[in-house]
Amino acid sequence: MNFKEIARRAETGPMMTTDDFLMQRVSANVMKLQKKYDVHWDGKSLVNLDDDLADRTWQAGRELLLSAGLYSANSRRVIEFSETEVEHALRFAPRRLQMGQGKDQVTIYHRSVEDPRPPFAFSGPFNADTHETMFVHLNEAFAQERIIDCLFLPGYLKELDGLMIRPNSGLSSRAAVLYGQWSREAVRRAGRPGMPICGHAVMALNEMACTNEEWGLRSTDPRAMVLLSELQVDDVTMARMGFYLPYGCPIYIAFTPLVGGYGGGPDGTAIVAVASFIASVMLGADICHLGPQHIKYRMQTNNMSLWMGSLAQQAVARNSHIIATTSHTTAGRPGSAQYAYEFAALELAVVPSGSNVSGPRPAEPLGWNNVSPLMGRLFVEVGHAAAKLTRAQAAEIVARLYEKYKDRITFEEAPKGLPFEKMYDVETLSPTPEHQALYDEVKEELARLGVPFE
Amino acid sequence: MATQEEVLAKMRASIEDYDKEAAVAAAREALEAGIDPNLAMEEGFAKPIRALGEAFDRMEIFLPQLVMAADAMKAGVTVLEEAILASGSTLEKKGVVVLGTVEGDIHDIGKTVVMAMLQAGGYEVHDLGVEVPTPRFIQAAEEINANIIGMSALLSTTMLRQRDVIELLCNKGLAGRYFTIVGGAPVTQKWADEIGADAYARDAVEAVKVLDASREKWA
Repeated sequence: MNFKEIARRAETGPMMTTDDFLMQRVSANVMKLQKKYDVHWDGKSLVNLDDDLADRTWQAGRELLLSAGLYSANSRRVIEFSETEVEHALRFAPRRLQMGQGKDQVTIYHRSVEDPRPPFAFSGPFNADTHETMFVHLNEAFAQERIIDCLFLPGYLKELDGLMIRPNSGLSSRAAVLYGQWSREAVRRAGRPGMPICGHAVMALNEMACTNEEWGLRSTDPRAMVLLSELQVDDVTMARMGFYLPYGCPIYIAFTPLVGGYGGGPDGTAIVAVASFIASVMLGADICHLGPQHIKYRMQTNNMSLWMGSLAQQAVARNSHIIATTSHTTAGRPGSAQYAYEFAALELAVVPSGSNVSGPRPAEPLGWNNVSPLMGRLFVEVGHAAAKLTRAQAAEIVARLYEKYKDRITFEEAPKGLPFEKMYDVETLSPTPEHQALYDEVKEELARLGVPFE
Repeated sequence: MATQEEVLAKMRASIEDYDKEAAVAAAREALEAGIDPNLAMEEGFAKPIRALGEAFDRMEIFLPQLVMAADAMKAGVTVLEEAILASGSTLEKKGVVVLGTVEGDIHDIGKTVVMAMLQAGGYEVHDLGVEVPTPRFIQAAEEINANIIGMSALLSTTMLRQRDVIELLCNKGLAGRYFTIVGGAPVTQKWADEIGADAYARDAVEAVKVLDASREKWA
């Protein structure tokens, strides 16, 4: 199925309200499929170790997409798919993909469960609110970390020229252009001019203005798009797909199934997650990003989300060759040890489950420049180490890590952390002695807990 | 004829079973039995839905159950309300809220949870939906004589629309006429203070607590 047909169905599919789609097509079907395929969480496990459960979750998720479809939120119509169309799209989804240019070109690939190859690592500001004066410095500091494969979502320009940016305004187009220019400048300064930049300039249609082969984001840079929860696509994403697909960009689609939301608990949400993976492939995704949210905690390292992420990734890894990744959103913030313990726990849950890695970032609301390139380095180091473990070995370490932070996962209780400019010397782009000491201390503790660093 | 306690038990069960038709039937039975509608509302509908709200906060039930319970209560309350209006009396309610996701923002779930929890908390909520144009919040509040305007924004780019609503209220000379409350993932107390919102709530449970605690400001 091509995009032309998807766009046609978004205009001609059955019409219904959002509420009816979510309650009748998503929730009701999830409840039914959970029973039919016996997909249930035991309330204790942090990492799934049951292959049969992973396979049943895949079947349930696939069936959910066939029965619910994908809702076009602006046209209020359902894009429906047949079984044959789904099988065809899954068969022809890419197993591996090159991104970037020249000597900086890198390859991402599908990983299987307990795949010993290191995960591909997307890391960067991850759409944290980034001040215009800090944008290039912050991204250069990430790009100079050679262990990072792709610069990830180079910061959100929430304000420009002293004004907040209104979506689709002239200022929004100007922000998108500067985003492209400054991101390219950052990787050039870091000596990696062809490093791929996974971009998502502004939350509006004029996001596309960041595109330019010389000074901006190129056809070899993946472009991130986001589905709405649950199983919904809006016109901004459809319009961007309509441009980026023929332009030739690798398509990176993120989705954020909500634990506690219309899918129910972590078990029902895992079914929604699998359906979202397949829906993304139907839309034309090359890389599928699972970024589950939690209706109460808004982060991904709580017990429900850890288990859900591991189960959904295993379902996809065992039953398809989709290139999958998981985002890492934490309660603790950069500049605190908890930040690292949380992202390490999630990586240990999902990397042996077959995922690549994207992140890390603290949960919203975000402070300005609230990310750390040094923690980006540690994130990738943990990801590489996690690939050496079986799920069972990793699960033991996840349990130890979870004990360290489980009582401080609400926004109020979690450590607040620091902005980039307090953790780095912004002229030399090197971490402050205090931030370096935190990295050393946390890495040593992670090693003591069993993370097999190189 | 069933006793008062038996009828109230049926009303409570209809909410706990998320059963809209049963809620309507039990509300009719309460009226036929001559039970005070305000008592029926509190004991038959409000109490069980508050308990479900607490269960949701503990993650023992999830959004579909909360939405179905709120729908059942809404259907039952409509029956009670019609009877009360027909008798020339009024149904006791805490306050009237217009609620919506701001212009340019299509995200619905956070607002839906807030709506369900406010309804569970005894508020009358008028849902304006998503992508609500700035003037529409004020127009709707005026039309239904609301006490409270609630604005949700999930994106850091759309939260500035919350500021626009408050600015427009001031420019229309309506500052202070409505109690404004803001929320959404990127929204903070600092932002609420900056734009002159009367209150900020981090989540749906907090929204109910904040409004309850600020009653003298909006009642």
